[in-house]
Amino acid sequence: MKVIIKNWTGVATWKWIANDDNCGICRMPFDGCCPDCKLPGDDCPLVWGECSHCFHMHCIMKWLQSQQVNQQCPMCRQEWKFNNK
Amino acid sequence: MSLQIIINFTLTRIRANMSKGDENSYFYWDPLNDHEADSLTNTAMARIKKDLMTLYTDTPPGIFAVGDEKNLKFIYALIIGPMNTPYQGGFFYFVLKCPNDYPIQPPRMKLLTTDGGRVRFNPNLYETGKICVSILGTWTGPAWSPAQQISTWSPAQQISSLLLTIQSLLNEKPYYNEPGFDKEMVPGDSDRYNEIITYQTLRVAVCGMVENDCGLNIPESLQNIIKQSFLNFYEEYLLTIESKLHLSGTSVVDPFTSVAIKLDYAELRNRLVSIHSRLSASKSQEE
Repeated sequence: MKVIIKNWTGVATWKWIANDDNCGICRMPFDGCCPDCKLPGDDCPLVWGECSHCFHMHCIMKWLQSQQVNQQCPMCRQEWKFNNK
Repeated sequence: MSLQIIINFTLTRIRANMSKGDENSYFYWDPLNDHEADSLTNTAMARIKKDLMTLYTDTPPGIFAVGDEKNLKFIYALIIGPMNTPYQGGFFYFVLKCPNDYPIQPPRMKLLTTDGGRVRFNPNLYETGKICVSILGTWTGPAWSPAQQISTWSPAQQISSLLLTIQSLLNEKPYYNEPGFDKEMVPGDSDRYNEIITYQTLRVAVCGMVENDCGLNIPESLQNIIKQSFLNFYEEYLLTIESKLHLSGTSVVDPFTSVAIKLDYAELRNRLVSIHSRLSASKSQEE
């Protein structure tokens, strides 16, 4: 039997590789977006701290902006530094 | 006057001034005097619902909480005094209000079991209902007691972890919750304080709450928990009162305020028994 493929549609899935299922700030799944966004993906990225904890970028930014002095990780209270690696 | 005494005296003065003076700090903590317009962020709405779900599905022992049906911002909580503490079996009723940007900022929280603003149940739980702990941002001094060391608010905290922190204030020796009181000022102070708290718990947080003699607006589901728990704990209450009957008519001086509190266990016993017979009669009628 010979099959001729006339056309095909590629489907891909993606997921964030984070060390937790949910964001520690909004408690929503990382595979979704933060509650202020509509679609998960590049518009609602995840960021990591040097302490290895991970959050929605929008969530951690709101927290850091509210802390004038001593910006700490919400989970472990170490000084917050973005892990740019 | 030793240095310790001077420090404690100063702390007491500072606290007295704070509770009287600064109007802003008054409104800062009080969920019932907060006039922030209701405009919760999307994150806040989603988080409050998640926090409530955690409370309903994974309820910490001795803690009950319900959301307000009309306003997501309000949460009503009941903490039952842990066993083997002077708070044993007492019903401590709290109102919480989440700010618009929750969980960036902590909720405001107030204790309403105060005998109408007359009883201070704990060095951290004022008679005004103010709760002085760093997790609520209402205590900014150094961390003294284990409860304070859990430290300040972070968005990784949630309502159930906050309520657990408050529950931990209701411990075996609350005298030492007072900042700087890691040793007794006068030997026996801690026991005297426990004597007062035990009596006030039975009078205000048990009998007063079951009868709701201060007319608090308690959600029905929590009222039912209070009544049912009263029947469950009744024998324990009675045992405590009977072991203290010999103290009836005597007074104990509060080590913090120097006010003498009269222990009227004989009257309290009558009140407890009559509440019990009333409640069990209405319960058997329902069945």
